[in-house]
Order: sequence, then C-alpha cells, then structure tokens
Amino acid sequence: MRLRALMALALVVLMAACGRGSEPASGPSEAVGQIQTITITAWAGGNPQTERGRISMLEKAAERLNAQLEREGAKVRVRVEGVLDASGDLARKFVLAAQAGQAPDIINSGHEDIAAWAQAGFIVPLDEYLSKYLNSTGLKDVIPNLWEAMKFRGSTWAVPQDTEARPLYFSKLLLRRLGWSEAEIAALPERIRNGQFTLYDMLRTAKEAQDRGVVQTGYGYWTRPVFGDNYWGGDFYQFYASFGGSLWEPASGRLTVDREALRKFFQFHYDAIFGYRVTARSVIGGTEWKQWHETVSRGDQVLFWNGGVWQWAEWAQCCLGGDEKGLWENVGFALIPAGEPGRSPTTLSHPLAYMVTSEKASGRRNQELAFRLIALATDPDLNSEYAIQSKHLAILRTQLDHPVYTRDRFLSATSYMVEHAFFLPNNPDYGRFDSTLGRVLMALAAGQLNVDQAVQRAIADLQSAVPGLIVR
Amino acid sequence: MASNARSRLVNATSRRRGLVGHHLAILMCSPALALVTSFLVVPAILTIRTSMTDMSLATLGSVRWVGLENYRRLLEQPELPRIALNTLAFAGVNLIVFNIVLPLVVIALSAAWEECLGRFLRPVWLLPRVTPSVVYSLLWIWLTAPAPHGTLNQLLTPLANGQSSWLLSHPWPVVITADGLIGTSFATVLFAAAIKAIPKEVLQAAQIDGASYWQAFRHIVLPFLRWPIMFVAAYQGLSLLASFELILLLTNGGPGLWQTEVWSLYGYHQAFSYYAGGLQMGYGAAISSLLVGFGALASLAILRLFRFPQLTAEPKLGAI
Repeated sequence: MRLRALMALALVVLMAACGRGSEPASGPSEAVGQIQTITITAWAGGNPQTERGRISMLEKAAERLNAQLEREGAKVRVRVEGVLDASGDLARKFVLAAQAGQAPDIINSGHEDIAAWAQAGFIVPLDEYLSKYLNSTGLKDVIPNLWEAMKFRGSTWAVPQDTEARPLYFSKLLLRRLGWSEAEIAALPERIRNGQFTLYDMLRTAKEAQDRGVVQTGYGYWTRPVFGDNYWGGDFYQFYASFGGSLWEPASGRLTVDREALRKFFQFHYDAIFGYRVTARSVIGGTEWKQWHETVSRGDQVLFWNGGVWQWAEWAQCCLGGDEKGLWENVGFALIPAGEPGRSPTTLSHPLAYMVTSEKASGRRNQELAFRLIALATDPDLNSEYAIQSKHLAILRTQLDHPVYTRDRFLSATSYMVEHAFFLPNNPDYGRFDSTLGRVLMALAAGQLNVDQAVQRAIADLQSAVPGLIVR
Repeated sequence: MASNARSRLVNATSRRRGLVGHHLAILMCSPALALVTSFLVVPAILTIRTSMTDMSLATLGSVRWVGLENYRRLLEQPELPRIALNTLAFAGVNLIVFNIVLPLVVIALSAAWEECLGRFLRPVWLLPRVTPSVVYSLLWIWLTAPAPHGTLNQLLTPLANGQSSWLLSHPWPVVITADGLIGTSFATVLFAAAIKAIPKEVLQAAQIDGASYWQAFRHIVLPFLRWPIMFVAAYQGLSLLASFELILLLTNGGPGLWQTEVWSLYGYHQAFSYYAGGLQMGYGAAISSLLVGFGALASLAILRLFRFPQLTAEPKLGAI
C-alpha cells in the first residue's frame, strides 16, 4: 500500500518535472501551421493618460517586426503583451520578479537602474545586437550623448526610449503683477541661459514678490515636493550642479562629492526656506504631489517652481481641462539658473530606457527578438507621437526635423535644454548615495541641521554608505 | 501487602493516565505547533542565517558567508541609539496610553451609556481597525496637510496661522495618535466583553457594602481584567515592536534624520527600499534578527509581570 502511494507520488513529481521541461525556452507561444507566434512581455511605468506610448510603441513595432520576419522567410512571429504600471514602484516589482525568474522580456525604466541590474545579471549587454542592427534601424539616429547614459563598465545595456529636461517654471501672471513688462518676461529664459539671472536673483525676485503682496509668504519659490518617499528626486542635483558640483568621475565611474558645491547647495536651500523665507517649509517633507500640482499648475499662486517637461502635459490634463492655452498664457520656462555669476545654467536629463532581460531573470531566450522589437520602436514616427503625447524630448536627431515633432510648440521651445543637460550616474551604489544625501537635505529643510552640520553629516554618511566615494 | 499492590495499581493507572494525557496534549497542540514552527521558527532561523551573509541585489547568485560582519556594521551606525529609543517610545507610549489606559477610560465612561447609544458607538469606534491602512493613513495625511488642503488647518486658520504640515512639525504625536487609535478600538472591545462577563451580583454586593464607583472599578473590575490586559500588553506590545506600516505611509521615518524611524522600519528600508539598487537583504536580516531576540525577551518580561504561571494554574478547588 505504502509502495503504491510512493509510486503514485513519484509519478506526479515526474509529470510535473516533465511538464516544466517541455515548456519552450522562448515562453508562451502558439503554432499555427508552420508559423510559431512568440509572446514578448514588456513592463513600463508611467502615467496611463500621457505615457501609454511606452507600451503601445512596442505593440506597433511588433507589426513592423512581423513584416520583416515574413520578408526574411522566418517561421516565427511576435506579439506583445505589455503592462503599464502606474504605481511608481515598478523597479521593485521587477527586481522581485527577476529573482523569481519571472521577469518580462523587456523592461522600461530609468537609466540609473542599469548598473544594479547589470551587476545582478538581470539584463543583458546589447553590444552584439547593436553591431548587427544599428545601421538598419532608427537606432543609428539616437542623439550620441544619450548612449553615454546607457553604458556601464564599457558595455551598452539599454536603448534610450525618451529623455527630458527639468526646467525652472515661472508665473508670467505674477511677474506682470510685480511690474515686469512683457519684454522683460519674454527675455528671462535667455538671461538665464546666458548666466545673467542666477539662483540668488531668483530668490531676491521671489522675496520682492512676497514683500509686495504678489504672493503669500512661502510661495515665492517651490522645489519639487518630497513626501515620505525614499526617492527624493533627481531635481535637487540640478542645484548642486549649478554650483559646479559633479556626481561621478567619468574616467573611473566612481561617485564623487564636491565639498564646496555641496555647501553652496545646502546654503541655497537654507536661504530659500529660512533666510528669504520664499519656500514654505512643508514643500520638502510635507506636501503631496496632488496638492503641489493643484498649487503650481495655474500659475496664479507660486512665482517660481521647478518641475519636468512632462508635467506640462500632466498639468493640462489634471488641472486645465486638457487645454495648454492657460499654461502658455500664465506659465514660462527656462533652464535652472547658474548658482552664481560665472557658472552655467543646467538641467537634468533622465532618459528612460528599454532593457532586454536575461534568461536568468525571465526564464526565456527571446533576447534577440526583444531587441529587434525595441529597435523598431525607436523609429522617429513612433517616438515622435509618444513625445508629443507625453511632452518628452526627442531621442533621435531625425526627430528634431520630423514634422510630427516640430509641430509641437512646447517641445520645440524646450529642445535647446538638452545641450545643457547632465545625467545621473550609472553606479550600483547610486541608490544609497541618493537616499543618504536626500535624508540630510530633508533634515536641513526641517530645521534639524544648519548648513555646516549638513555638510559634515552628508560627507560622513556618504563615506560610510558608499564604498570608494571620492570627496573633493 | 494488599494495600501495597493496590497502591502500585493506582500509581500505574495514574501514570498511564498521565501519559495518555500528555500525548493527548501534544496531539491537541500539534496544529498550533506546526503553524508556529512553519511561520515563526523556520523564518526566524532563515532570517538569522541570511543575516550572516552579504546578500544584496549586487551579490544575488554569489552570496558569501560573512559571519557577524553585518552585526558589527549595524552597531557602528551613529543613528542606532536614536532608532532604538524611537522604537521603545513608540511601542511604550502607544501601548500604555492607547492600548491600556484609554480603553479603560472609555469603558469606565461608557458604562453610563444607554445600550442603544453603545450599540451605535461601538462599531464607530472600530472604524480605525477595519479601515485599510492605506485609506486610513491617507485620511490622516489629508487631515494634517498644510492649509488650504488640510482639514485640521482649515479649522484652525481662524484661530492661528495654520499653514504648516502637522506631520512635519509634530510627527510623533500624529503618528502615535493615528496608530494608537487602531489599538484602542481593539482593546476596548476586548475589555468591554470581559466586563460583561463579571457576575452582576458581585458588583451589586459591592454597592450594598458601600463601595464607590472608583473602588468597585479598582478592586473588582480591574482584577477581572487581568487576563485581557495581559493579552493586550503581550499581543499589542509585540505587534507594536514589529509594526511600521503606518509610519512608512505617514512619514517614512522622517522628516529628516530618523525622527520617526523605528527598528522594524529601519530593517525594511535597508532590505527592501529600492531605488537604483539599494537592496541589502543580509544587512536588513541582521536588523530584524535583533528585533526577534528583543521581542522574545520582551514577551517573557510581560508574562512575568502579569504572573502568567499563576493565571494558568489549576483552580485550587480542583486539588481538594
């Protein structure tokens, strides 16, 4: 009896093992006649109203890839099964799925994830595929410096999907109330671009607006909000860069911190909150995104604020009935001003990228097909449609002249910002670097630390958290 | 001779009964033991094992044994005393004020309620317990947000310039109150049920003997509540030591430097907080392992405080 039970159990285990072994390594597929259809899975994060294109570009590219495969006489076709995740927690979901061997074939995420995922073996290097397909696809037109953000330890691990700038927005409405002429308002972006209007000029203007009752106290200048989130946002590094700070050493790839730039970075935020009192204390640490959008988007409450180009589309959708007209009337945009005379204005570009997952992460061997899909999704017409819908900047040189792209007034007006952009580092310790520095800035904003204490604390904590950090 | 034989027979019978009773006890406890082993003992052993490795996102697939290195690194962190103190303050204040004292006060006051009012208020009182954590914390975020969004500041604006975020200016009072009210509703229901079980004759006899309301509460009701109070102290105390979801949702341990960071949240942040590859599972497991050890000691202390062996002793009447 016991023997029979054991045999039955062994049979069940054997069947289960055979069942798993018989699943094709390419994943779910259907065979009709001689043609096999392979499902390529893709995950992307984003706003469903404006950034659905991150998945739909792949779906449209699948049609083009199938046409190519047919011409080649291949016996396979692809279909895309995409998920657009709006939770803001896609990277963590991906890591857990990859650990379980259940990751999708394609993941779309920020380029700063490349280092950690490459090191963990979750994504594959693309150099071999690039040499094979670069010249026959839209990839050859990718703006060259974007490839730099896709590299880690000498290899290219991703394909740019979008890029951006993070401007300083200003209220034309409130500047008019402050007595600025239309010509002065129109000239402000150029003055900032030439370094004639610095961050401290901005604080002084905001203070004047407060003193004259144009804006409420604490509404002169708003940073990006931070609310109980470990991710405090790359926006803040723009101010560090505006004072000459750099985040990594290009030759070695090691993370760096410049003591003097860090001091000026903290001093600027301290002055904004406690000196000029133009930034409400609650913006860093106590304001939700929803409240922040509602406050800044109409341009009638806050004089200066910094956000991203993609938020132009979000504000039109969330708060202005889908119409950009109100934004054009009341809101202007410029680079992040230089920190002090003699320095350069700047902006952060944070390209999102398509990455191809490894067999270890996905349990499948669809890497080449996944890459070909990504390459075709990079065609200028598809990416331009996405760029317009989401207000992201061009990733291809050909897009800059593409009629679909150039028709968009906002994208045309902000394209120059890419020339002044810098990227976050591709370093596996960057996450710890970021959370450590963010925590100290929030302590400064909460009044727990003064500037000197913040500098000392930040450097000590960074040295403890980040092995190999270079302190200048 | 006969009496010796009878005595041996009685002893053998009682030994057999004892053995049967012993086996029966093990059998009866086995489902609970299996659950505790599967969901507490085994995970605790795995966590301790993980804490002695360098497991992180970067080392997945090539995890190395590092012995006590994670513990050494943890004990060197300057923020550790602050986080330990936060944990004790959060769990202690929450337990005493919101899980024991406030429920007793509510019960003492509600004794005078009409039954229909009680029937209405008891479910209302349970709302914090039954509301999903995310929804509950969102309500608190909106309640305490800066003006003009926050309800509290809207109410206070006529009295003062209520612009600030309460979570930024007074993080601990907000966090403890929000979390505590969940515990209060739980303990109130338990205590109310225990009070209902007190024989009315005992209270009536005390009244006839001239006991005041307070004397009756102190000398009759409270002793009857020793069991539920011990249960609440042990169960809620340990839950609070390991609890962090509401803090995560409300302040994420901030604002700034570890202001509301508690031990379990610190472990979560190190092990699972993801941005650009920050997962350090081995280090996070070391933080959690220390908490498991401290939790075990704390539960023993609570059982000792409430004289657990006496509470579970066989009734003396049975020994006669």
